Amino acid sequence: MASNAVQSVKKLGVFERKGLFDKGVGALLPEAYKKFYKEWKLTEPTAVHYIPEVGKWKRDDLTGEAVPIQNIPLPLLYPKEHNRQLWGGEAVIQGFQLRDKHRRRVPHFWFPVLKRSVVYSEVLNKFFSVIVTDRTIQLINANYGFDHYILKTPACDLKSLLALGLKRKILKELEAGCPSYKDDPVIQSQLAEKYNKYLEAYTSDEIDWYGFSFTEACNRIKKQMEEGQQKIAFKHMYRAELIDKLRAAKLEEAMGQSLKSNESGLDPTWLRKMIPFSKKKET
Amino acid sequence: MWKTVPFVTKSISSSSILLAASSLIQQQIRTTYILKRKFPPQLHKKGSPPKKLRSRHYIYDLVEDTNTKKQEDIDVILTTFVEGLGNSGEKIKVKPQFAYNSLLLPGLAVYACPENLEKYKDTLCNKESVEYSSPNALPTIKTLSRITLSVVMNKDHPWVLKPWHVKTSFRKSGYVVPDDAITLPEKPITGPDMGLENKEFYVTVTINNKEKVNVRCRLHHWSTDIIDRIPYTPYFWEEDTEPIYPEFKEVLETLPKKVTKSVNKN
Repeated sequence: MASNAVQSVKKLGVFERKGLFDKGVGALLPEAYKKFYKEWKLTEPTAVHYIPEVGKWKRDDLTGEAVPIQNIPLPLLYPKEHNRQLWGGEAVIQGFQLRDKHRRRVPHFWFPVLKRSVVYSEVLNKFFSVIVTDRTIQLINANYGFDHYILKTPACDLKSLLALGLKRKILKELEAGCPSYKDDPVIQSQLAEKYNKYLEAYTSDEIDWYGFSFTEACNRIKKQMEEGQQKIAFKHMYRAELIDKLRAAKLEEAMGQSLKSNESGLDPTWLRKMIPFSKKKET
Repeated sequence: MWKTVPFVTKSISSSSILLAASSLIQQQIRTTYILKRKFPPQLHKKGSPPKKLRSRHYIYDLVEDTNTKKQEDIDVILTTFVEGLGNSGEKIKVKPQFAYNSLLLPGLAVYACPENLEKYKDTLCNKESVEYSSPNALPTIKTLSRITLSVVMNKDHPWVLKPWHVKTSFRKSGYVVPDDAITLPEKPITGPDMGLENKEFYVTVTINNKEKVNVRCRLHHWSTDIIDRIPYTPYFWEEDTEPIYPEFKEVLETLPKKVTKSVNKN
């Protein structure tokens, strides 16, 4: 409690910048997507390119001085191509090499070694030809299969949109009870026994929103909202309003009118004259 | 860099099994460049964000390049008989690349996870499903049925063909075959008889007292006297010839003929 109070006092008078989910379309996104986004972008991924030190403190060998251990991860780069591939947590590292004590540092990029291979998803019953790294294959082997690897690994380690999209598909397939094995109920029950433990971590809504990039999610919610609304032409709206007003004024002619335009009691030829671009035009 | 880490990890670990379900991964796998900062960054205060990284904090030393390191073999369980590896239900240790590309993806094997070990336990004990006596039985059958064995007999002294003659011929061409594994045709072959020179017959070799394979043989005569010797014909196996007895023809026709790949006759 005390630390919370201290924190809030510190925040007093400080302008809080609006976050991704506080403004614009981002504010409309559901809680399910926010949870995924936290797992994807705001969680620390597994240390692949460095060996983190364990423990809280270490002692200087010579002086015996205690120094706290603070593991600061190496900054990693993810080119946009990686979203179509499975790198298994690897990344590009930009940095310098110091090849000699008396030489100036030299810029250097460490790239992962990529190769094309095939992965097989048991749940989807499909083979995928994808670009992978050795680490991906090793992780698949260590987890006893691609499905286990994808379902078990958090989004921060899968990283690429391809892997996350596959994860969503696999989860949806499991939720639906593996329709790809329609003819074989034995295999369906085996798969359910094998993989349904992973479904416990997600609600149906969370699966629906899993694995979209922020832009994709925004476009998705926009589309959903547009579909939800029914478009009504202004002329019908204004007409109904006008009739309401006239009724309020208790005009006799208006009392006989219905609110809907197509059921209007007016003479059809008279109406047709008023609408200039109607399809049927009598001469 | 990861401002909300404590909060997020807590929420995830409490709500999901993602981070908890690491029981299968026993140890960290690294197959990439492992780097180390040459100049470690300054310590930051407890609870405050890390200090800004300077250029010198981007100077890295290569600790290890795990791409060039030898990967450990993995266990797989075969689902069918695989030539040179084993019968179905057998647990074998193979190189990971070979296992993934040649066994696991084509569906010849499955991972040796606890569930699969339980599932395929009975397959191996069930002797009826065992197809071959050893993983190398099929390759041996294939090799032996392809060769043309040259059986060289004496030109001066009388003899009756015995299994040990064939055994010696096998040994001369690099195959160690015990006497009792060789079965000769019922009709005895005797000599020296120049009418049988460069004619064919067959012997039956039994592998591990189980698999039987017919081997094409060709009879040649040889004398200790250099003048009496018949000149050697190179690539004798490529020339067509007749069987010693017409009864052998049926069996000999089923055997594939040896083909020399590198010979250019023109």
